[in-house]
Amino acid sequence: MAEMVRKSSVDEVLNHWILAGSCILLIITGFAFLFHLESVGAVFGGFDTMKSIHNWGGVVFSVSLLYSMRHYLADALHYDADDRQWFKVAGGYLSHKVKVPPMGKYNPGQKLYYLIILLAGIAIALSGFAIWLMKDNGSMMLLAHLVHNVAFVVFVIVVPVHIYLGTLANPGTFGIMVTGTMPLETAKKRHPKWIS
Amino acid sequence: MANNNTNSRKAILVTPELCIGCRACQVACKSWNQLPAIETRNNGTYQNPPDLASAAYNMIQYSEVPSDQNAVRWLFLSRRCMHCEDAGCITICPSPGALYRTESGAVAFDRDKCIGCKLCVNACPFDVPRYDAEDKVTKCHLCFDRIDAGMEPACTKTCPTGALKFGNRDELVSAAKLEGFATIYGEKDLGGLGSIYAFKEEPKLYGMKENPEVPSSVVFWHTYLKPLSLIGLGGVVGAAAIHYLAIGPHKDQEEEV
Repeated sequence: MAEMVRKSSVDEVLNHWILAGSCILLIITGFAFLFHLESVGAVFGGFDTMKSIHNWGGVVFSVSLLYSMRHYLADALHYDADDRQWFKVAGGYLSHKVKVPPMGKYNPGQKLYYLIILLAGIAIALSGFAIWLMKDNGSMMLLAHLVHNVAFVVFVIVVPVHIYLGTLANPGTFGIMVTGTMPLETAKKRHPKWIS
Repeated sequence: MANNNTNSRKAILVTPELCIGCRACQVACKSWNQLPAIETRNNGTYQNPPDLASAAYNMIQYSEVPSDQNAVRWLFLSRRCMHCEDAGCITICPSPGALYRTESGAVAFDRDKCIGCKLCVNACPFDVPRYDAEDKVTKCHLCFDRIDAGMEPACTKTCPTGALKFGNRDELVSAAKLEGFATIYGEKDLGGLGSIYAFKEEPKLYGMKENPEVPSSVVFWHTYLKPLSLIGLGGVVGAAAIHYLAIGPHKDQEEEV
């Protein structure tokens, strides 16, 4: 077996699964509320129970999101010249012929994605808590309802892109989500500045 | 959501100038719907209960306004759910069937399906829905159970002066116009209300809301955000599929080419 290098700690892998799982659960139940998907409601034992699952799933997501900051935030705030060049060649995703600059642990697309998830996540969590707990404040409810749905649109657009890039578009990447490790040889090619 | 057969749409026509403030409508409503009494305090007005409540689906609003002839004019306004055609409560409700349109065009509720989120309360232009002690929605349902059994709502049945009339909406509107009422409040508002009011004076005088509208954030959400969430999800899934087929996944080898 090829020599492996650890990219993500065990708690990072675990927390990412919690974040991903709760996020997908919240998106599915969110769509069910938005479009009155009775079959989805039936799976969760009716809309009343689904509301509780959505609310408490939101608590799990919020805690997991805050915890994820220790794993990704520092990296996500730091960009260099190679990162700027990466954006110019669209990360090599639009053509295999362009030269992609050497990357560190994360490419700037991933870093930007994290910032979007963090900001939209904070917005959707705070507005969610407002809808849940501030029912008698009319203007707050309507504002929170709007913010919750704007952030939801952001999530349903960026999360599938993240899933695609982490699976089909970059074979082998999903293994890091499971084991936290990747082959050293691959790491040297994809993350030269991190591995050196 | 729209009630296609407009001929079957029923309505209550309120003619406030015929109302004598007897509150028989309040009693009849409580009686039919088996609603408990509410303990209230005298706060300087005969208006009682002071507001719509989970145990008061309708009420008479008493207002005192200045007058040339007398010291004061006493106006009575029978209030209940307006049964909007474009109902903000139904639009925003996340639980299917909790708020719904009956065949006769009323906005009714199913408390077993209510999930207690209170979004309907904030989307209602007329401040109508109330929550009961178990956090379930309640409000006037136009006595749809009586209508389905060939009867009229309890409040209109009991009204002794004709201030409350029940019937086909079209007929009530034309009859009120023929009688010379200047304003039929709710004829066009929110797609047409199911509780319409015949006024000779300004509706504002009686405390009616001017230009009632579903909150703009709710309209924006329903018109743009809801479709955008589906289009957005479908768009990126489609784009990913096209990318996978047309360009293909990342290949480490080609980096050296």
